Amino acid sequence: MKWQVPVAFLTAGLLLWVVPWLRAQLDFPVFYLIFLYFVFFWIAQASSWNMLTGYSGYFSFGQGAFYGVGVYTTATLVDKFDGNFLVSLPLAGLNAALLGLGIGFAVFRQRKLRGELFALLTLAVALVVAAVIRNMDAIDGGYGVPLGQVPYPEFLGDYSTMLYRLGLIIALLTVFVAYAIQHSRLGQGLFAIRDDEAVAEGLGVPTFRYKMVVLAISCFFAGLSGGLHALQINYVAVESVFNIRIPLFVILMSILGGRRHWLGPVLGAVIIYTLSDRFSSARLEFLNQIIIGSLLIVMVLFVREGIFARLQRRAWFALGLFGLVLVIQVLGGIGVRLISQVAVAMLALIAALLLPDVLYRKLFGWVWVP
Amino acid sequence: MQLFGQALISGIFLGSLYGMIAIGLTLTWGMLKVINLSHFSFAIFAAYITYQLSTSLGMNPFLTMLVTVPLFFLVGVALQWFIDVFRVDEFMSLLVTFGLFIILESVMRWFWTADHRFIPSDLNPYLGVSIWVGPFALPIPQLASFIAAILISSLTMYLLHRTYAGKALRALSQDREIAGAFGVDHRRSGMLLSGLAGAYAAVAGAFIGMIYGITPTAAIEWLPVVFAVVILGGLANAFGAFAAGMLIGVTDHVTSVIADAGMASLVTFVILILALLLRPDGLFARRIAE
Repeated sequence: MKWQVPVAFLTAGLLLWVVPWLRAQLDFPVFYLIFLYFVFFWIAQASSWNMLTGYSGYFSFGQGAFYGVGVYTTATLVDKFDGNFLVSLPLAGLNAALLGLGIGFAVFRQRKLRGELFALLTLAVALVVAAVIRNMDAIDGGYGVPLGQVPYPEFLGDYSTMLYRLGLIIALLTVFVAYAIQHSRLGQGLFAIRDDEAVAEGLGVPTFRYKMVVLAISCFFAGLSGGLHALQINYVAVESVFNIRIPLFVILMSILGGRRHWLGPVLGAVIIYTLSDRFSSARLEFLNQIIIGSLLIVMVLFVREGIFARLQRRAWFALGLFGLVLVIQVLGGIGVRLISQVAVAMLALIAALLLPDVLYRKLFGWVWVP
Repeated sequence: MQLFGQALISGIFLGSLYGMIAIGLTLTWGMLKVINLSHFSFAIFAAYITYQLSTSLGMNPFLTMLVTVPLFFLVGVALQWFIDVFRVDEFMSLLVTFGLFIILESVMRWFWTADHRFIPSDLNPYLGVSIWVGPFALPIPQLASFIAAILISSLTMYLLHRTYAGKALRALSQDREIAGAFGVDHRRSGMLLSGLAGAYAAVAGAFIGMIYGITPTAAIEWLPVVFAVVILGGLANAFGAFAAGMLIGVTDHVTSVIADAGMASLVTFVILILALLLRPDGLFARRIAE
């Protein structure tokens, strides 16, 4: 690993760490902090999903199960046993990883359970976990768990600052691990499994072990991030935790961003969350779902590599358009909030990246020759 | 004993509805390699149309099928046309129809809101009317859905095994190239089957509207159980889907009587997971192979 990478992650972490302080100085509303927390949450979820699905090709609809186990670990430990929150957080990740290992142990030995059967099996597992939690009175029992005031160390700041900072740490850690896996022997082995499992096995890739390891890591981060998210939800209920929203969003984010690169899900998470937040705050929930559904269809049919791969090829064009649209709005005073202006600029960015290659070359090829 | 017998009967009736939805799904999955998640949306959409026609026009809920069945036949044909034109493979079809599923859900929510919709009892004269056989009640809409499920699965079996179009379809699902060389048009056959699946979804939807009432999220509630039915029944096996539907429906209701309703869904999914792990080809796989 090049030394620049950990340094870059640390720098990004330090810069983002002081954002709450800066917000207070510049007198921005607290809303921005909460918004950024949600961005971190989705980055962690999408990246953890992509470690398994993007790298190894085993498509999971079960993200909700691992996330949900994390949420309920925190909820149970904080609420019922009055545990220290910073101790229960890693336990949330470990619990989810254990669930993952159990599933993997049963599933990965069956050669048939690939592709769509694996996808449906993970969906069923999520429903079983939801049913178990709803029926167990010690965990939920169908009534939901109110968290109330959760004690945490003083140095993390007030409640939303604490969420922001822990969310930041978890997101950075997840993305860093996703990066590290991609550039390691494990990652190379997983890519081989995705391309052709039989050949990979023949070439000596320990497929069973690699799949188990990556499933455990992926589940750990899904659970860890879920464990923190329990504090954000505060009133934990089965219906909202095991909603279709979690698997839907991580799938969409990773497919939009691209599954072959560790930055793909990050880009997808930032864009999708920002857009859907703006749509719901404008009371256009209806439009939001339609756009998300259509985007999913368009991406699957026409841009299977994801927009990150295209961004690498047309960086100047796309980022230039993004900056231009943003600057015009800010200077022209169009729109009220900075986030809405960014969201509009993101739409321009997506449009620039969805442009088919042929058309792009015809229109702009003479300026930016790929 | 009386309670148990009644649970058995309700289970069979519920199971026939599971089977009816599952047949369309299992046919397109097994024969066309299209995993159609939006099949559930079609059923719920049809249920809403049944609701709308009977409440605003006062149509008999059974007669609404004259409208919804041809309509959703066309929807199925259009979907298959789309999938054919864009060369969507099995796995992509799961994601594309998932996108369609989300779009349709939000359209339904926009049009009919998130409220629970139920056909008023004066327009739905059969609801709550039962035929009594000894101590057991056979509610008429449920009985009708049971008969419809038997008709649908028999009709499907007849079409697939006794007609030219059905034989062409089976040849196609075994080997597309060879079937093509013998003059089978894969596009037309596929659209026919997909249209049939859409029509079945409309029939199931009419019964859902009559018996249960509808919300926009109902599609996601039917999804897991029906997938369990499809996998238990074995792909492209219409009678398998019907039988597996009965099995799941009966287990569901009997568990509710013995334990409680919360346990019922648990038992269903445990059956699904065991089936996937132990018999991924379906419970009736061996009999078909022989």
